[in-house]
Amino acid sequence: MTHGYRDGYTDGHASGPGGAPDPSANPYWNAYEETYGTPPATQGMPGAQGMPGAQGMPATAAFPQQQQQQQPQWADETRPLPQASAPTPAWAQAAAPPGHAAGIPDSVLDPALNPALDTALTPSSTPAPAVPKKPKKPGGGGGRDRYLDLLRSLALVRVVVYHLFGWAWLTVLFPSMGVMFALAGSLMARSLNRPAWGVIRGRIRRLLPPLWAFSVVVLAMMFVGGWNPSKDDDGLGWLGLINYIIPIGAPPYPWQIGSKSGLLEDTWAVQAAGPLWYLRAYLWFVIASPLLLWAFRRVPWATLLAPLALTAVVGTGLVKIPGETGNAVTDFAVYGSCWILGMAHHEGLLRQIPRYVVVSCAALVMAFGLWWASGHLGPDGWDLNDIPLAQATWSFGFVAILLQYSPSWQELPGRLARWDKLVTLSNNRAVTIYLWHNLLIMATVPILDRLYELPFMDDRLTGALDTTYLLWMFVLVWPLIALSIVGVGWIEDLAAKRSPRLWPDGSKKRGSNRARARGRGRAR
Amino acid sequence: MRYLLPSLILVALMAMLMLRGFVHSEILADHRVQPEAAADRVPEKILEGGPVIDTRGDSPTSLEMPKQRLVLTFDDGPDPKWTPKVLDVLKQHNAHAVFFVTGTMASRYPDLVERMVQDGHEVGLHTFNHPDLSLQSQRRIDWELSQNQLALAGAAGIRTSLFRPPYSSFADAMDNKSWPVTEYIGSRGYITIVNNTDSEDWRKPGVDEIIRRATPKGSEGAIVLMHDSGGDRHQTVEALDSLLPQMKKRGYEFDNLTEALGSPSAHTQVTGLDLWKGKAWVYAVQASENTTSVLVVGLAVIGVLVFARFGLMLLLSGVHARRVRRRDFRWGPRPVTEPVSVLVPAYNEAKCIENTVRSLMASRHPIEVIVIDDGSSDGTARIVEGLRLPNVRVVRQLNAGKPAALNRGVANARYDLIVMMDGDTVFEPGTVGELVQPFADPSVGAVAGNAKVGNKDSLIGAWQHIEYVMGFNLDRRMYDILRCMPTIPGAVGAFRRSALERVGGMSDDTLAEDTDITMAMHRDGWRVVYAENARAWTEAPESVQQLWSQRYRWSYGTMQAIWKHRRALIEKGPSGRFGRVGLPLVSLFMVVAPLLAPLIDVFLLYGLFFGPTEKTIGAWLGVLAIQAVCAAYAFRLDRERMTHLISLPLQQLLYRQLMYVVLLQSWITALTGGRLRWQKLRRTGVVGSAPGSVPGGASGSVPGSVPVQRSASGNDRRPVG
Repeated sequence: MTHGYRDGYTDGHASGPGGAPDPSANPYWNAYEETYGTPPATQGMPGAQGMPGAQGMPATAAFPQQQQQQQPQWADETRPLPQASAPTPAWAQAAAPPGHAAGIPDSVLDPALNPALDTALTPSSTPAPAVPKKPKKPGGGGGRDRYLDLLRSLALVRVVVYHLFGWAWLTVLFPSMGVMFALAGSLMARSLNRPAWGVIRGRIRRLLPPLWAFSVVVLAMMFVGGWNPSKDDDGLGWLGLINYIIPIGAPPYPWQIGSKSGLLEDTWAVQAAGPLWYLRAYLWFVIASPLLLWAFRRVPWATLLAPLALTAVVGTGLVKIPGETGNAVTDFAVYGSCWILGMAHHEGLLRQIPRYVVVSCAALVMAFGLWWASGHLGPDGWDLNDIPLAQATWSFGFVAILLQYSPSWQELPGRLARWDKLVTLSNNRAVTIYLWHNLLIMATVPILDRLYELPFMDDRLTGALDTTYLLWMFVLVWPLIALSIVGVGWIEDLAAKRSPRLWPDGSKKRGSNRARARGRGRAR
Repeated sequence: MRYLLPSLILVALMAMLMLRGFVHSEILADHRVQPEAAADRVPEKILEGGPVIDTRGDSPTSLEMPKQRLVLTFDDGPDPKWTPKVLDVLKQHNAHAVFFVTGTMASRYPDLVERMVQDGHEVGLHTFNHPDLSLQSQRRIDWELSQNQLALAGAAGIRTSLFRPPYSSFADAMDNKSWPVTEYIGSRGYITIVNNTDSEDWRKPGVDEIIRRATPKGSEGAIVLMHDSGGDRHQTVEALDSLLPQMKKRGYEFDNLTEALGSPSAHTQVTGLDLWKGKAWVYAVQASENTTSVLVVGLAVIGVLVFARFGLMLLLSGVHARRVRRRDFRWGPRPVTEPVSVLVPAYNEAKCIENTVRSLMASRHPIEVIVIDDGSSDGTARIVEGLRLPNVRVVRQLNAGKPAALNRGVANARYDLIVMMDGDTVFEPGTVGELVQPFADPSVGAVAGNAKVGNKDSLIGAWQHIEYVMGFNLDRRMYDILRCMPTIPGAVGAFRRSALERVGGMSDDTLAEDTDITMAMHRDGWRVVYAENARAWTEAPESVQQLWSQRYRWSYGTMQAIWKHRRALIEKGPSGRFGRVGLPLVSLFMVVAPLLAPLIDVFLLYGLFFGPTEKTIGAWLGVLAIQAVCAAYAFRLDRERMTHLISLPLQQLLYRQLMYVVLLQSWITALTGGRLRWQKLRRTGVVGSAPGSVPGGASGSVPGSVPVQRSASGNDRRPVG
């Protein structure tokens, strides 16, 4: 039951960007608007406009606490009661005052996987204007929807853990990809109140440079390993390499490279470049978004469910599209509903449906997914990645429930607050983490193998290391990811036309210089 | 802490069930059998050698049986039915044999293993749950052996060095797949025993055929394969009975293996820790077997109860609805038109009291409203006074609890018919009139109205909506017909003043004063009826936390009330009638049945993961369908839209469990500290764990959250029986 803030930003959309205050007056308006839409016209504190929903009631000024609360909603559509059914209009109860977002410049940084910011941002070195400050926990991301941030962080961690341990049930426990696409879809819908071409260009611009950095390294390794793309049977040959520059298709890679006795496994190229399909899917979703949003606004339900129907056709073997095109279409179909669900979340469709309906129907869809999966188990059993229709329906239901409950946190509540910096960091470096994690997982092996050469390794210790090897990989991969954030993460900032930062965990308050200094200190 | 004990109990149950499934080969069982393979890597001398294969040393050797020695071997046991018969026959003929027991069966029937050893038979390992070892990993093989030894140690206090691989036959049947396993098992210190003659008794070929197959040629010694488990073995027993004397006549001796070979016994005593581990294992298995038997009985009981209840509800609620909806139905000779006093006890109800009182003002029945402010600190009383409404009086008292507030209200009421409602409940214009119509019948002492959930769009609200509609339209109609309505909801109920005075008014002996007073009414001989059209809209708890404390109070309060009125069981007159019909019925349906309900879920989980998954899901869907039919009928009776029923499957998966964990906790409270608190529970009406007195709720600080249920103190409605 979150009214308030979410209503706040939708109201903002209704008034359109033109209704926003002059950005020059407050450099942080941009940031705020980017993230939350234009705030409602009333910028006063909640309650200033009186008591909505209190029609016919005498002034109740004597009981100020009433102004802080909404009227209960008894409204029952079948039997409205005379007084009690007065609808409670959504009011700007929790719409954050502008200072909220401005309090922490870091808040303008959107995760690059779902970049919401394309326009040039006012550099954070601009002195902070005098805006009303809200007491805030140090390090709080502020202004951002921390719930969505948390989901994205969870999804990233889940992806890394899944790629490391290969536990199939993780795909059921938390369908990361669906969640990521849904979040991206929601942010995309928000940005699309500006001209579509600019939005798409900005998104692509922020996506490519990090990919290029990764491509340079991986391609160099592959060529050193003796890969000749022209000898691939089903690829496009050298032409396919263009996907390492613009991922209109999933980049090609050799299935085996090097030797089994080499430093890395001979399948390292598969492992390293395998996850790149996500970028291809993301790119196509971004390009298709204006169309999808247009369709969604006209026929919401049909648009929302169409990808599921498409999955039922192309993801079940009913119709088989060969080659990379088939993969692209299937991925688009499987995650399309999640992406559009994100748009629906932004457009407020989910809020119009009673929660119990959403959750119950989502549960039924998910039950169908499980049932389908049980009859179509893949080589890894319950790994939904191998069962397109199950993946599509399970992710769809899961995401629908997550977004329906979307509580729009201004900051992480309670015990979650201690994860604040990690959440901020992983969101700011989502592309970097996603691109590099699999290569880094592989890189842990040659490092860990050094341990066997230690002088005190006897049989017992060797055996112990053998059985706990995956665990040590898991321990080691995080420092490596941290290194990659420091090493190449700043490219994300460059791509977003920001000044590069080493360790953007949101722990600074004002001024990029100081922040950078602190970031550097931390990185060491 | 609140979840700890109930969840521990559930986990323990689940563990017991899993242990049972484990020794019944429902878990971890592997019935695959390796197809035959080439034998070129098995040493020639083994293929052509005897059935006793020793691979412990560097070079494998095998031994033949001496002449005129027959070693009977029985696989797969012990079996509770056939093994004792086999043992009897052997004893009768003074024969010794070898039993290759599986760990699962040995754990389940340790006494039989002990008897084998005492009777002088030898016991060998046959793995824990009989997989084809050539398909298993080395780790699994180790585990199969050690777990089998563990069971043996627990049952008979011994270890053995004899081993027979499952699915084995003659020595010349060794192949490239099974030979490495045999070698490995030898390296663990076991001697592998295969056989010379196979009775093939598991095919049940007839007694004569078994004897024919078991008998060796001439005077050769042999190891005979038989089975004492795995089905009907009466042919085996009969065959033994004639084989033994027959062969003895031919000069054969029946010894166990080491006796026949003239070597030291294969048994060694287990002492110390290993013995205790074995005993603990066997004990745990026994406990799980017993627990499971009890659980199955419990499940049967709950099944019968659930279905009986559904049947009864459908039947009686149909009867009730037909009766009160007949066109010529009247409660008495003329409709009740006399004015009514409406009591609104309020404790910190500032947020809703205005809605409540204004909804009363629209009443079509003549009323006076008395708001009893129970020491509110948020200006509830002033809000009401500020409305300056006619016929509304405010009575203030220091905080003394809801029962006291109601009693004060009764004392201040002008009229003889008294309606009680909650400070956060909204009446329809016709509610009061409908509610008091049954008083046209002079035997009616109290009337229960129809409380409905106002906030039913959230998930938890929708669940409660279903629960309320079913509770009122099925349960309460049934109880009305059976004349044992357990509770008049605090949110909407009406009383005759004379009846209230006869039973001494409201009491704060229990946490559920509404159940208490209703039972008191029954015992005093009054009828308590249900008025379906007297609808009141109430706000249901929005968070699990609030729901928990509300239901905890209800279920614990109900137990208290039942306990308080227990004397009705042995009394005469109407009290006795209620005590012997109503009270057991209410206890059964409201206290005992929910206590057994978790069994359904425990078995569901077990069946889902280990048992016949499809059947389990099918059975669950079947029960769900019955629930859905009942719910749909209730919704139709109440003319509610069916859309909310879509959340029924999830309700069955999440909400019901929450409810019985609450009930379990109430039981624990009742059994542990309940009596101590008995008399202390007044004034605040908040039990230890109730979040209670947080006006506006803990989430009041979260912007945009809906106002939560008013403070739980003293004004908890209790609409559902």
